[in-house]
Amino acid sequence: MDISLSEEDKAFQQEVREFLEEHLPKGAEVWSKRKEWFEAGKAKGGWDVPKWPKEFGGPGWNASQHYIWDRETCDKSLPLVLPFGQVMLAPILMNYGSKEQQEKFLPDIRDHKVNWCQGYSEPGAGSDLASLKTKAELNEAGTHYVVNGTKIWTTMGHIADWMFCLTRTQTTDVRQEGITFLLIDMKTPGIEVKPIITLGGSHHVNQVFFDNVEVPVENRVGEEGKGWTYAKGLLQHERSAIAGISRTLVSLQKLKRNALKVKVGDGNLMDDNSYRKKLAEAEIDLRALEFTELRSLAGVQAGGAPGSESSILKLKGTIMQQRVQELTIEAAGPYAINWGHAKAGPSFSRMGMEMYLNGRAATVYGGCSEVQKDVISKRVLGLG
Amino acid sequence: MNFDLSEEQTLLKDSIQKFIADNYELSVRRKQSKQKPGYSEEHWKTFADLGWLGLPFPEQYGGFGGNLIDTMVVMEELGKGLALEPYFATVVLAGNALLLGGTEAQKEKLIPEIIAGDTKATFAYAEEQARYNLEDVATSAEKSGDGYVLNGTKSVVWNGSTADYVIVAARTSGNRTDRDGITCFLVKADAEGIKMTNYPTVCGHRASEITFTDVKVSAEDIVGEEGKGIEIVEEVADRAILALSAEAVGAMEVLYKDTVSYTSQREQFGHPLSDFQTVKHKLAEMFVETEQTRSMLYRATIEKEANEEKDARLDIHALKHMVGKYGRFIGQGAVQLHGGMGQTEELAIGHYFIRLQVIDTQFGDEDFHLQQFANKMDVPTEGGDEMMLPF
Repeated sequence: MDISLSEEDKAFQQEVREFLEEHLPKGAEVWSKRKEWFEAGKAKGGWDVPKWPKEFGGPGWNASQHYIWDRETCDKSLPLVLPFGQVMLAPILMNYGSKEQQEKFLPDIRDHKVNWCQGYSEPGAGSDLASLKTKAELNEAGTHYVVNGTKIWTTMGHIADWMFCLTRTQTTDVRQEGITFLLIDMKTPGIEVKPIITLGGSHHVNQVFFDNVEVPVENRVGEEGKGWTYAKGLLQHERSAIAGISRTLVSLQKLKRNALKVKVGDGNLMDDNSYRKKLAEAEIDLRALEFTELRSLAGVQAGGAPGSESSILKLKGTIMQQRVQELTIEAAGPYAINWGHAKAGPSFSRMGMEMYLNGRAATVYGGCSEVQKDVISKRVLGLG
Repeated sequence: MNFDLSEEQTLLKDSIQKFIADNYELSVRRKQSKQKPGYSEEHWKTFADLGWLGLPFPEQYGGFGGNLIDTMVVMEELGKGLALEPYFATVVLAGNALLLGGTEAQKEKLIPEIIAGDTKATFAYAEEQARYNLEDVATSAEKSGDGYVLNGTKSVVWNGSTADYVIVAARTSGNRTDRDGITCFLVKADAEGIKMTNYPTVCGHRASEITFTDVKVSAEDIVGEEGKGIEIVEEVADRAILALSAEAVGAMEVLYKDTVSYTSQREQFGHPLSDFQTVKHKLAEMFVETEQTRSMLYRATIEKEANEEKDARLDIHALKHMVGKYGRFIGQGAVQLHGGMGQTEELAIGHYFIRLQVIDTQFGDEDFHLQQFANKMDVPTEGGDEMMLPF
């Protein structure tokens, strides 16, 4: 058992620090200068796609290098990368995609030229994903699949150029069979995207309708009918990614800064011992979770897949996101009610409430908490 | 980076597991716990013969020069076996106090005896009014001629009744709650003026209240520097927390695994209990919190071993908080899911639950360490009004 930094690791840590110091956009520039940041990462040798292996242009870091990167970046605000392409789809293409697909899609994902969305859930297939019904039929010429049906809760579907999508090509007794993984160009005729407004008043998710949408066969990933197997691998990546542990730790630090500015009599909210202990309790769970993630990473490094630990990370990680959101609106206090944009009370409260409300989805999407517990009891505890 | 045990650690783990499997049936434990001295002297000899007592001590005193991870392995396995032997008091508490502050003469005499299993010792640091505050020491050590005279009462001294030596934290100067002015002394347990009130603990171990009335000690009996004893007390407490937490994680693992197996066999309403989703989910939560606590155990132990002071400080508080909070969650959950049988003394499950409950009271409980963490956590120096991060 050893996580001490070797001389090589220490040198790497130094390199990371220097890189961040030189290239990470400061303050508000995190939005305006994100392009420069990605370019600097790319020039550095794949640091723009930290999790990618070397053969696909990533840095090919080992587990301790990933650890160092996460530790060095967790208290900094990195430009946000939507996870759908880079984190969720890319590993599937690398593992199951054809060479042509890899060459066609990976470079654009990497360069943020193409936005992806995920087409999994359907009105009748939520956490019970295998009951999906969106139909894909091969045309007589065998050149295209014709897709009919609907997908729902499609995050960022309204800005997406492409969707990776689970479709049913066959109905068998085993529901997990007969599912095919397709890549669909969102500009194809017959696709309609309708917005869904969530509790926080925002438009992130959509319902997508398919009416005789033609998808070329070369956009099928892997074999017909094997899509479930590919998606399952992806779900584990998704679960690790949406746990967002480092990000929640950053949020917690931001929350402390905000709390210092919240007035309580002549002092501030950080003087309130009961509130301070709530923050401490959240931070403790997150610090443990950071190490659970590291243990999971070490397992992957040793040749395993992100397995049952990814369910722990998803389950606890999303609970902790929600906890920090709760504590944020608690900090806003009476001003948590401000639902307009007038300057009334601290400005973090408006967005804090929005995020709290929208954040309720975190324990629902990507396999709800109840499903994660089912997964753990089946896969880890061996209960049928 | 890896979280695997070394070959030596794996062998150590296996040998303790085998010993526990062969010797620690619950009925035997119960019998030994109830009769004097409260554990098996024969087992203690075996601990010595197999080298477990010498593990953390440097080779120059006949030990094996082990580190905190080795101790973690031992304590986790002893925890799984609910072992009664005074390994914690003698090796972890007194052993570390000696290592940290002992004079060469003290170490050369006592450590080889401890390793051989011939001498036992304990650490009397706590007092009733202090609760979990290590700096609150009323017991006085007044200078008298070349030596000192001890007066006062130390509370909840682990395995006091079988100790040959007691290392005592007493006040040589300052006020009762001053950080400075505490000094540690090595005292023979049968010295004149020492009175022990011994009692069994709810978890089957033994503890003592020790009263010192004009007990004479010499300057050579000081462990560490005069007036700076708090440094030893705190360092021993850190290592004690790591050891107890390893024991707790061992107990937590047994609890959730035993409960999985019990609920898979026990049938009600025509099904094994584990067929019911409400039971499955509870078991999944027990597994998750065991692994979470194990992660923090690894984190704090590794940081402490690597002398990463700031992180280790925070994570030792975090760990003891989690051990209290999740230990209770898992212990109570196991008892609940064992139904009527869970209420009985007959099953091992209740004894692990009780042990976890007791560990929460040793060296600061869940709430105490949450407060410590809250006091010491990283708080930015300047406030702001910042946007929070989206998902």
